[in-house]
Amino acid sequence: VLVSCVAPARTFEPYEADAVSTAEDALAASETALLAVEASEKDNVTAPYLSVVLAESEESAGGVQGQFDSIQPPGTEGDALRDELDKLLDDATQVLEELRVHVRRGELEKLPAIAKPLEEVSKKLDEFARAHER
Amino acid sequence: MKKLIEITLGILTAIGGFVDIGDLVANAESGARFKMSLAWVVIVGVIGIMVFAEMAGRVAAVSGRPVFSLVRERLGAKMALANLFASFFINFLTLAAEIAGVALALQLVSSVNYLLLIPFVAFAVWLVIWRVRFSMMEKVFGLLGLLLLAFAVALWRFGPDWGALLGNATHPSVPFGEGHPTYFYFAIALFGAAMTPYEVFFFSSGAIEEKWTKSDLLVERMNVYIGFALGGILSLAIMALCASILSPRGITVDSLSQVALPVAFVLGKVGLALLLLGVFAATFGAALETGLSAGYTVSQYLGWQWGKFVRPVEAPRFHLVTLVSIVLGALLVLTSIDPIKVTEYSIVLSAAALPLTYFPILIVANDPDYMGDNVNSWLSNSFGTVYLCLLIVVSIATIPLMILTKAGS
Repeated sequence: VLVSCVAPARTFEPYEADAVSTAEDALAASETALLAVEASEKDNVTAPYLSVVLAESEESAGGVQGQFDSIQPPGTEGDALRDELDKLLDDATQVLEELRVHVRRGELEKLPAIAKPLEEVSKKLDEFARAHER
Repeated sequence: MKKLIEITLGILTAIGGFVDIGDLVANAESGARFKMSLAWVVIVGVIGIMVFAEMAGRVAAVSGRPVFSLVRERLGAKMALANLFASFFINFLTLAAEIAGVALALQLVSSVNYLLLIPFVAFAVWLVIWRVRFSMMEKVFGLLGLLLLAFAVALWRFGPDWGALLGNATHPSVPFGEGHPTYFYFAIALFGAAMTPYEVFFFSSGAIEEKWTKSDLLVERMNVYIGFALGGILSLAIMALCASILSPRGITVDSLSQVALPVAFVLGKVGLALLLLGVFAATFGAALETGLSAGYTVSQYLGWQWGKFVRPVEAPRFHLVTLVSIVLGALLVLTSIDPIKVTEYSIVLSAAALPLTYFPILIVANDPDYMGDNVNSWLSNSFGTVYLCLLIVVSIATIPLMILTKAGS
């Protein structure tokens, strides 16, 4: 409990560090899903396994977004940063949600097309993290 | 010929039994975040567990008594009680993590939520401990655990940049974006995973279960020096595979499904199926070992009849402690606490308690009253002393680093 406590960000720097950490976690979830879909395209994974991987990726991305949104932005600069990152996180979780829905319906052949926008989101999350890393 | 088969089987069992949920998570997580920069810790940890497991096995084979019982006799009830509390608590967390690990492996096969599977897993663990012969259960799960070699095969098939991996391992550095405290926190996690206390208690008690004597010291040493060393190489293969496939994509590991993903990506469905069977066997085997270790430590401290070499009716309190530990371990993970976090805490906290486990072993292994001519050599004592100093440093640094890095996050 002690180690998972998150103090509210009072200045921009720690808030920005939280944003970077959130972007990296969301990137990890997105890239996991992309790798799993790539493996699925090559018929390298079973449907139950793929279903678990994609559901966990969605849960992970949603979780970090919820955690980040619960932090009070320290000012207008923080608001802008939050809006920028939230847009990317919304895009990522939306694709991950669609992937989970389709894998549970057994529509594995549709997954590569559904996952396509996630490549761009993933790239932007990476750029965001690099741009704000100190 | 019979001896050779016995030695080979022992070594194979030791390799398969070396890796458990803690090793899987710690090695994969470290590889994904730090590439091979922490490979040296695996080597240091494997040498450490070899040094102390050899001592514990030798003590049991020569004296005919398990280490825990001798610790109480040699160092007194108070010192042994501190040892018991620390070891039992860490062992309990590890047991809970292993039960969750089995359920997670089954979830990856069936996509049934792991929480629904935990009661069945706990029952199966208890049933095997109750019904199956010690040597049978050790060999079956140890040998099936060899399927984890799928990690090494996948690494070889993937064809990574071996030079870069080696360079990274021999010239460790903290990657950009990671701090030194986090680096050392993960070093401690890896060290704790390699030197988990239950391994020596189980090894020592197992020597009694298998009725080892002085004449079995060769088998004992082969198991430790070859089996554990090859188990360490398997740990490095997990780290290298995750460093090669997950790290370049920015994937950090926080679930068992991610640990298996590189193998599926490279080897396909057959490789994935074999790996998941290996993960199941490794975690189930470790759940049996930690379940038994709970009974071993408490019974040996209190002087109760213990072990599977007697019928359950002759060791009821030993079996009761084992059963209660399994039930409580299952209840802990049923609270929906993140099982990977339980695993991480179990290995990190085990690092904090390591001196309490290993110091008494070093003392007993040097006592001629118990060991006769088989007391520690100067080489064993040199390694033992150096490692004891290291264990003390690690145990002091663990909790501050845990708080400072928010448990490595």
